[in-house]
Amino acid sequence: MTLPIQVSRLRERLWRAVVDGDEYSAVRIAHGALAEGIEEETLLLDVIARVQEKVGTEWAADRISVAQEHAATAINERVVAALAHRPDGGPYRQGHRGRVTVGCVDGEWHAFPARLVAEILRLRGWQVDYLGAQTPTPHLVAHLHRTNPRAVLLSGSIPTHLPTAHAAITACQAVGVPVLAGGRAFGPLGRYAFALGADRWAADARGAAAALEAELPHPDPAAVRHIVDDLPHLADQEYTMVVQSRGTLVKQTLRDLEDRFPALREYSDEQRERTAEDIAHIVDFLATALYVDDAEVFTGFLLWTAEILEARSVPAVSLVSGLDALSDRLRDFPRTLNLLREGTTALLERAHSPAHGPGPDLHV
Amino acid sequence: MGRAVCVPPLVCASPSSFADPRDAGVNVGATWGDAPYPVLVIDRDGALVGLNAAARRLLPRGNGEGTRRHLVPSWLSAAHRRLTERAAGTVTAPLTGEIDERRYEAHATPSEDGAVVWWLIDDTDRRVAEAALYSSQERVAVLSAVSSRLLSTLNVPRCAEATVSMAAEHLAEAAVLVLPPQGRRHTLTHARRGHPVQRVVRRIDPRTVQGLAEALQGFPPVPARWIDPDGLPDWVIPEGFTGPVGSVIVTPLPGHGVPAGALILLRSGTERAFTEGEEVFARLFAARAGAALSAARLYTEQTAITATLMRELLPPALHTVDGVEYAGQYRPAGDEERVGGDFYDFHPGSESAQETLVVLGDVAGKGLDAAVLTGKIRNTLHALLPLAGNHDEVLRLLNGALLTTQHTRFATLVLASVRRQDDRVHVRLTSAGHLPPLIVRRDGSVEEVPTRGTLVGALPEISSVGAEAVLGPGETCLLYTDGITEARGGPLGDEMFGERRLRRTLAECAGLPAEAVVERVQMLAAQWIGAGRHDDMATVAVSAPAKVPPGSADREGAGEHGGRRK
Amino acid sequence: MTQHPATEFSLTTVSAPSTLIVRVAGELDYDTSDELVDTVAAGLARAPAPRHVRLDFAALTWIDSMGLSALLMVHRHTRAAGAALYLDNRPDVLERMLGHTNVLDHLTAPVTQDAPGPPKEGDVTGAVVS
Repeated sequence: MTLPIQVSRLRERLWRAVVDGDEYSAVRIAHGALAEGIEEETLLLDVIARVQEKVGTEWAADRISVAQEHAATAINERVVAALAHRPDGGPYRQGHRGRVTVGCVDGEWHAFPARLVAEILRLRGWQVDYLGAQTPTPHLVAHLHRTNPRAVLLSGSIPTHLPTAHAAITACQAVGVPVLAGGRAFGPLGRYAFALGADRWAADARGAAAALEAELPHPDPAAVRHIVDDLPHLADQEYTMVVQSRGTLVKQTLRDLEDRFPALREYSDEQRERTAEDIAHIVDFLATALYVDDAEVFTGFLLWTAEILEARSVPAVSLVSGLDALSDRLRDFPRTLNLLREGTTALLERAHSPAHGPGPDLHV
Repeated sequence: MGRAVCVPPLVCASPSSFADPRDAGVNVGATWGDAPYPVLVIDRDGALVGLNAAARRLLPRGNGEGTRRHLVPSWLSAAHRRLTERAAGTVTAPLTGEIDERRYEAHATPSEDGAVVWWLIDDTDRRVAEAALYSSQERVAVLSAVSSRLLSTLNVPRCAEATVSMAAEHLAEAAVLVLPPQGRRHTLTHARRGHPVQRVVRRIDPRTVQGLAEALQGFPPVPARWIDPDGLPDWVIPEGFTGPVGSVIVTPLPGHGVPAGALILLRSGTERAFTEGEEVFARLFAARAGAALSAARLYTEQTAITATLMRELLPPALHTVDGVEYAGQYRPAGDEERVGGDFYDFHPGSESAQETLVVLGDVAGKGLDAAVLTGKIRNTLHALLPLAGNHDEVLRLLNGALLTTQHTRFATLVLASVRRQDDRVHVRLTSAGHLPPLIVRRDGSVEEVPTRGTLVGALPEISSVGAEAVLGPGETCLLYTDGITEARGGPLGDEMFGERRLRRTLAECAGLPAEAVVERVQMLAAQWIGAGRHDDMATVAVSAPAKVPPGSADREGAGEHGGRRK
Repeated sequence: MTQHPATEFSLTTVSAPSTLIVRVAGELDYDTSDELVDTVAAGLARAPAPRHVRLDFAALTWIDSMGLSALLMVHRHTRAAGAALYLDNRPDVLERMLGHTNVLDHLTAPVTQDAPGPPKEGDVTGAVVS
């Protein structure tokens, strides 16, 4: 059996076990694969990571429930832990290459990608301190002072954590430790990673390992940066204003939407709260787009949300109304209005493109 | 400052007259003849035709006669040629050159007959002063760069590395930092200009380098000229340092009260020796490095102490015992903190028939003060473990142990004694003034465990009513602190997470493993808060696994999975 | 931006013959609880010593565990002084906390020694042995 076939069969078996919530089978499959001679790195990245990706896409398509998604992720994590803690410890775990720190941006709960990176680096001979999900920046900095690592690998999945990531990147560099950023939050080809001044960006765990092996220069800690040094557009204060008035904005938008769609008033408390949460998310992504001054953060989120909503038979046109209501409230902010316009355009284009085809609810 | 200021007032704009404008009638010759500056008159052909007394004293003599006895320095002759070859009458910018190790600025005043009167102004001192000024500015810049680079780290090895690499860059060809001994061994950090820093820990005898033993004790430095560069032991010389050492500086790094180490600076014999100014500068540099190093050392010691003390206070890692899943998460109020007033603990039974005791609680207050009290509670409960069969008794004794007349800082907590029987998990729960635990059933319904009792640590008498619960496969009992339900935020920014949302969250967690339940509750509460302030938040989940490990389902009593760690 | 109008913490002391009334407004928590204990202790120290201490919580917006700890401390002071403690106009948040922690009876237990006068009309909690 060729390796690709072996790997894709493993993937299928693991997927079934994980989605069934069957931890024992999942762990057995992983151990079995190693016994058959599959490389641990291949198992982690081409089997387990791919299965975890599928967990996310299946949830987005509403084919598995939130509970299944959580159970599946928990099991995948246990599989990784079981591999890491197996009695023989696997090959090359001496950490001869030097010490590195792997952590997630504060507020980031998706720790799985970081966990995989940590395991891959260990396999490749690094001594890894894995700090887990949502590492508060003060903890991260204290850890750097204590351990003097060669680099920090900072993982982020959700773009709304970019401002926090920026603070973390600057803080690490201020103590002279270079930062390698990775994860979906940092945008296509790591665009936002570079905008926030990260020393390196890696697309995946293998890329991260390669970047470390190529040596990262230590940043000059004497060159203390201010946020505005990296992002001069923040001087217009639009980001700050939107963030500060988030609660009020959400309340007002909710009220405006009720005026436009009286049916909203019939919503149950829980439905109203979900709607408020959706608006809050829009505001959060809008703020993030203002922060990095890049519309794609915002349009990307809107298009993704439209898909999620439609998978659950919720008309995506409500998003356009939400943007409309927000525009009314943010009239004095040119950069913000521009983003809202781009968001609306993206949503409308999507609705009219044959690939997506307007759903029956769109004209409601 | 413009050079024109240095031109004597005697040199006026008129090329035909050397007269002092204030004294037009005075003989020209007499005027320049008496000038305190050396003045030379050189004719069109380059012959020296006149010079004043000052010039006479200055110029070296040759074999010629009269004025020709004096030798015009070649740089001035060359300048004269360039000047006369150009149109007569143009005044050129002053030139400079050396005569007898001093520097002169030459100002030309051409006359109509083609001769040029050269005024020589000694500006050696100004140049020395300017050079000194420049280098002192540079030194200030270096010192400020040194400070900010050193202060950016609180890690001793990195600080040492930065010290030697900057010393090698700015002060010497190579630098060695000797840290105070740990035992009999010293950490040596070597740097050679343009090469990577190297660190080694080894036994050395500081007395083999003149002034080093003293420097390590913080005594003032020995002047560089006293140190014999030939007598240096090998360990001082960095790898790859070629050629004999020409001069050496050994300077102490003054720390906060205690010496932070000593710095040895080396220059090879082909370079010039260290000057006194450089020695002074080295001391300034060493003072900054010493301050940074001792700050780093202090920080390291403090964190080591804190980490040791903290280890007892950090929540324990929970795991599966006897086929029952346990999971816990804890988030302290402050981002800077690791511990606070919430706590949980975990005591697996010593054999499978025995109950596992789980406790989760909350001490009034926050930060380290509160954490210390949680430590006391956990220790006391540990000691009371043999009595865990009787929760009332445990709580009564704990209450007595905590009671003090000093304060009324109390704790609320829940005790849970857990035992598996077949595929069911039996839990005995007692609340001491704490929020009642919640149970999520397989079908997603959520129940409150009806236990209540008095808080501990403040009242002389307490009472409590316990409750028992049975968990089927995929069911979870959640213990939590009010940091979860009282989390403020949400989409509108000002709402409490509340018990209603907690119950709704739990309803979605039916059938999930304990870890996933805890993770989901903590995550939703944290996202609810967003960037806002929050209290300590702790959750512990006890779950009967939805799927029993193969081979243990049919076994009486406890399963084998997970193992029991002592 | 503060979303909820945080009522400023304040204590208003009203001294009537033999009674000390302290109106507690705002949030009684980590930052403010010591002030309450000090205020009551000072009120008890004056002469003639009050026989009743009434804490009026009508304007209380929040209480946390340090606030409750302060109430327990206040109770130690009143009991030591032989005065009766009353917790008047308790809002939900206080009621819930006293309920969970099971300390209401203790805080408002009758003083054991002879205390003059029956409780005032409209008292919601305490009873005093006369």
